[in-house]
Amino acid sequence: MQNLRRISQGIFLLLFLFLFLQTESKGRDELGYPVKIFLDFDPLIFITTILSAHAVAKAFYLSIVVVIVTIIFGRVFCGWVCPLGTLNNITGSLKKWRFNMASRNWHRVKYYILIFLLASSLFTLQLVGIIDPISLLIRSLSLSIYPLFNYSIRSIFDTIYSLDFRGVVGISESIYSILKKGILSFQQPFYNQSIFIGVIFFLILGLNLVERRFWCRYLCPLGAFLGILSRYSFLKRSVSEGCDSCGICASVCQGNAAPDKKEDWKDAECLYCWNCDDVCPQNAVSFGFFRKRTATAMDLGKRRVIVSMLSGMFAVPLLRATPLSKSGFSNPGLIRPPGSLEEREFLKRCVKCGECMKVCITNGLQPTFLEAGLEGIWSPVLISRIGYCEYRCTLCGQVCPTGAIKRLELKEKVKIKIGLAMIDKGRCLPYAHATPCIVCEEVCPTPKKAIWFENVKVKDRHGKGIIMKQPRVDLELCIGCGICETRCPVLGQPAIYITNIGESRSKENQLLL
Amino acid sequence: MDRREFLKLAAISGIGFSTAGSFDKLIKSVEASEKIDLVVAHGASPSKITDAAIDAIGGMKRFVSRGDIVIVKPNMAFDRLPEQAANTNPEVVATVVKLCYEAGAKKVKVFDRTVNDPRRCYVQSGIADAARASGAEVNHIDERKFKDIRINGQAIKTWPLYTEIFEADKIINIPIAKHHGLAKLTMAMKNWMGIMGGTRRTIHQKLDESLVDLALVIKPTLTVLDAVRILTANGPQGGDIDDVKRLDTVIVGIDQVAVDSFGATLFGMKGSDLGYVKVADKLGLGTMDISKLKIKRISI
Repeated sequence: MQNLRRISQGIFLLLFLFLFLQTESKGRDELGYPVKIFLDFDPLIFITTILSAHAVAKAFYLSIVVVIVTIIFGRVFCGWVCPLGTLNNITGSLKKWRFNMASRNWHRVKYYILIFLLASSLFTLQLVGIIDPISLLIRSLSLSIYPLFNYSIRSIFDTIYSLDFRGVVGISESIYSILKKGILSFQQPFYNQSIFIGVIFFLILGLNLVERRFWCRYLCPLGAFLGILSRYSFLKRSVSEGCDSCGICASVCQGNAAPDKKEDWKDAECLYCWNCDDVCPQNAVSFGFFRKRTATAMDLGKRRVIVSMLSGMFAVPLLRATPLSKSGFSNPGLIRPPGSLEEREFLKRCVKCGECMKVCITNGLQPTFLEAGLEGIWSPVLISRIGYCEYRCTLCGQVCPTGAIKRLELKEKVKIKIGLAMIDKGRCLPYAHATPCIVCEEVCPTPKKAIWFENVKVKDRHGKGIIMKQPRVDLELCIGCGICETRCPVLGQPAIYITNIGESRSKENQLLL
Repeated sequence: MDRREFLKLAAISGIGFSTAGSFDKLIKSVEASEKIDLVVAHGASPSKITDAAIDAIGGMKRFVSRGDIVIVKPNMAFDRLPEQAANTNPEVVATVVKLCYEAGAKKVKVFDRTVNDPRRCYVQSGIADAARASGAEVNHIDERKFKDIRINGQAIKTWPLYTEIFEADKIINIPIAKHHGLAKLTMAMKNWMGIMGGTRRTIHQKLDESLVDLALVIKPTLTVLDAVRILTANGPQGGDIDDVKRLDTVIVGIDQVAVDSFGATLFGMKGSDLGYVKVADKLGLGTMDISKLKIKRISI
């Protein structure tokens, strides 16, 4: 069974990584692969989104499959499928574990986390993505690990290329071109907070050296959710009379389910890894359907359950009671991707998985830190100085798992305003310095350009009259895509910049009648 | 006469005998075409008029020799579809690529440093697929291949330019004729912005001079101006089909200043209306006065 399980884990991990790599534009406006499918299968995101937003994307009904599978087979998702579980598994196996090492008894923690998340989502706060394993893994890989990986591979090949060793460059370049086709990103991605997000991820992996599958055992709320379902599963483990309590099964148990203690067996903790069955010298362990449940009841402690529920509830006002809520509008720089729901609704759905940022072709979508409040941490914001919203691209809406960013048809997309450009006359070359520059107008993508020129006769220092094309922004036509800001040749503070005023998704945040 | 020379002579005369007729024709066509400065071909099929125009100016063999590495530089800077006339017509590009290979080119490379996302520009313009189908090598720009080139022009002293241009044997420029807010029109000379590295947006401060400076160092073998569809407003990327005018025309010439000057007439302007054409003419880079040119018009 062990090998079968490993094969399954390997296949799902590779599938996950493949889809992750495919979350990148190839030039067409469709990706061609169901890149967010792991998120679609995640029942925890499904439930919390229903609770917080009272709605959910159609694809999410796939997650019912996981629920059904768990009810039939138990928590096999954790043991056989979950890509983060597999990475935890791999990291944990890097260390030699002492036989009979006592494990912590913290398994309840993940249930408290789950209760906290469910309670807070009931009160419209969507925090699950921060700690949901699939969302966390996609975000960590997208915003940190993959950029890091790209950077290091690229610098190796760039170094060889620039040193120009005869003979070597030819070989290295052909390897590099294969890598570029297969696993490297089209361009080096950069993200705000990539170190921070990466450190969290490495900490989670590192915990596996403290105890095997530390995350899965003690922290994972999805594991907790599936664990609860697993208690009612048809497939159950039983131990026959032949057991002589040698305890070897406990030393290989991935889930810390106390397989050696008959009366204390925690079926909700079992990852169905089959290790105990494989290792049992007496062949006393077996799994089978419709067996009598032998496990003890889960005892979470009434008080602690109440405390986690209450803290989930209180987290809502705590995170929201900021001056931001007074104005209703946050930071004017909080430019959400096109198709984003109104900010309140957006935050109820966005799970901060990072799919939109991964797929954004200009790298302009970046994770927020506090711009959208603590509640919105790691949600997407367009930083136009880094990258703009490509006029005919609709990819972010296609990969958003929860519909926080709506999927738009191209003809709808080009009409969506995500903000508005403003000119800083004190910096703009034709205004402030009587120097020609038309870059913002040139790159403006709207069919009738939102940036137009007023031909103004100005005088240079010597009193000589010259005609200057001074750019103006048409408030109706500008969609706030930000390409003018990205490309503005005025360095430092750009002379044209975007704020979210006028964004289509908001009724209040409007400049014009 | 040593052995090598003998073989060479034998080979040459061999070719002469075996292909005497076609050789004659070639010489004739070269003689005839040398007098023609521009060919303006008109017709419904972009590939046929491209074919005919190049044939009329002497055939691709006049420009591309066996074993040449040829750069074909279209304008595919924008994330737009062919019918929006922001990028060079893909059929025109594919035809030029095909003709290069027929003339014996070893390799034809097609690339552009795009304004919008390169992946989208290459695909949405239809050029990458069309050029690849004709056998061209279509790669994205490799940032490492930009090297500072001394230009010593009026506006640009040095600039990082794409080295593949200088390593190629032949360069064929295939711009599209369209509107531009500052340059008024962009055609052949402005298309060389696509091989500029660095922050090329700053050259708009002295655009006309900068474009001419580029023309000082980039010497195209041939220029094929795509006017199958021209963009008459909201250039250089347009987006509105109403701004597009169908002319079904291709203009071929060796002198890029002449090509641009003629191109202006498609928009009801004169070459002298364009700053960069005027500056280039003054520096003697080409001929602005199209009345001095021998223009052959063909219709298919």
